[in-house]
Amino acid sequence: MSQIKPYDFMVKYQQQKDWIDGRGNFIAFAFFLGGISGGLYLAAAYFDSLLGMFVAWLLSLLMGVSYMAHLSHPFRSWRMFMKPGTSWIARGFIFIMLFIGLTTIQLILSQWVPEATGAITVLKVLAGIFAFAQSIYTGFAVSYVSAIKVWNSAIVPILFVTCGLSGGLAILLAITMGGDHAQLVMLENVIRVVLIALAIIIGVYLWNTTYSSTAASDAVKRLIGGSLALLFWIGVFLFGIAIPIIISITSYFAGEASSGLLITAIVSEIIGGLALRFAILKAGMYTPLLPAE
Amino acid sequence: MRWGMAIELKRCVGCYECVLACKAEHFLPPDIFWNRVLIGETGKYPTVTKLIYNVRCNQCADPACVKVCPTGATQQREDGIVWVDEDKCVGCRYCMIACPYQMRMMYEDENAQYFPGQELTEHEKIGKELYPHQPGVVQKCVFCKERIDAGIEAGLTPGVDREATPACVISCPTKAIHFGDLDDPNSEINRIIKEKHGHPFHPEFDTDPSIYYID
Repeated sequence: MSQIKPYDFMVKYQQQKDWIDGRGNFIAFAFFLGGISGGLYLAAAYFDSLLGMFVAWLLSLLMGVSYMAHLSHPFRSWRMFMKPGTSWIARGFIFIMLFIGLTTIQLILSQWVPEATGAITVLKVLAGIFAFAQSIYTGFAVSYVSAIKVWNSAIVPILFVTCGLSGGLAILLAITMGGDHAQLVMLENVIRVVLIALAIIIGVYLWNTTYSSTAASDAVKRLIGGSLALLFWIGVFLFGIAIPIIISITSYFAGEASSGLLITAIVSEIIGGLALRFAILKAGMYTPLLPAE
Repeated sequence: MRWGMAIELKRCVGCYECVLACKAEHFLPPDIFWNRVLIGETGKYPTVTKLIYNVRCNQCADPACVKVCPTGATQQREDGIVWVDEDKCVGCRYCMIACPYQMRMMYEDENAQYFPGQELTEHEKIGKELYPHQPGVVQKCVFCKERIDAGIEAGLTPGVDREATPACVISCPTKAIHFGDLDDPNSEINRIIKEKHGHPFHPEFDTDPSIYYID
């Protein structure tokens, strides 16, 4: 706030910086990691990939670390268990803790007591529920903020979940490469559908947001043709959608894609997911309280 | 009981006395402002109107900041005052993001001083003793709740007696700011709001502010 000239404060459209500058970068990372961790766990549980579920667990731990790094007083974070009634950040904290706890037990059982199939299935279902919750809450935490019109959209949680699923599937593809060919083909097919869905959701979100308010419309203009255009077109569009879709379509018609191409698509998709969180958080603008001119 | 303010915009001359009084009252560090004077313009020459709005936390009846706070650090008292328990705040900044009025700020640099490179002023030294602010927690206007509480305990009436009234209200040289109980239909503040058609700032934010502006 100190960088704002006193006569500019709330007289002009102002970008939110609390969740993007300095420590704020960590919350963008946490949202990204929460998304791909949730998406990866769901995909890995479906395809029964123990390594995939383990990586999802690791990513969730990393999300927790990123979350803590965002807080000024991380040692007080236990208090976040206290208010799940109204706060999405508190709810998210509980979801992450439950996901990590349940997945830890499930991974231990799957690795060392594989005959306990009943318990493993129950834990997988429960962990899957919290994986989904961990992924979607990041969208709700953002969309709940009615002060920032570009965030205040019901599409944001869907967008974050789809993007997380896309990233999670990409990581699972990397884990599966060199393994079961049939599973690889099936994964590629799922990724194609998710990528197309993601592209449609991003399009609908931008179109819908443009018509919601002046502040939201300005934010979309900044994303598409303003100061955030580079991040949006190169980060979100090129890396997150165009490159993976082109490689995916190529592999569909060619029958099989080379490992190099697949790795390019995977890395590109992950970069795109990260860019999407940063782009949306950076696009957050406050409506001025007074007209400037 | 619900404490509220009514601010007469035509009386405000934009002297910033309320801002300084608040800073002095709470020993606020540099870059921390619990209230502000916003200055804007509308219209085009020759029919330009200058807008001067003295703004602070609106002590909303339905505050977004209280809802989003994950630890319960931001609380609302029975008299409507919204305050931050500094010992509970984790510094997640969700409340800062959620406040549509942007009336919250983070106190980060505990070494910041008004005259960098020089010794702390006596005021700064006293402030660190009397009104310490924790770094890494969120700051906001609390309607000078300490003055209100001490005043009520001494049998005084906030809004009537100076000692029980917020610093910004009593410091205003043009008496543009009024303070009182919004729940009391016979209070002076309710009479002013009713007679002069007071309205909340940006009612579309839908948080039911306790500060009314009179054009």
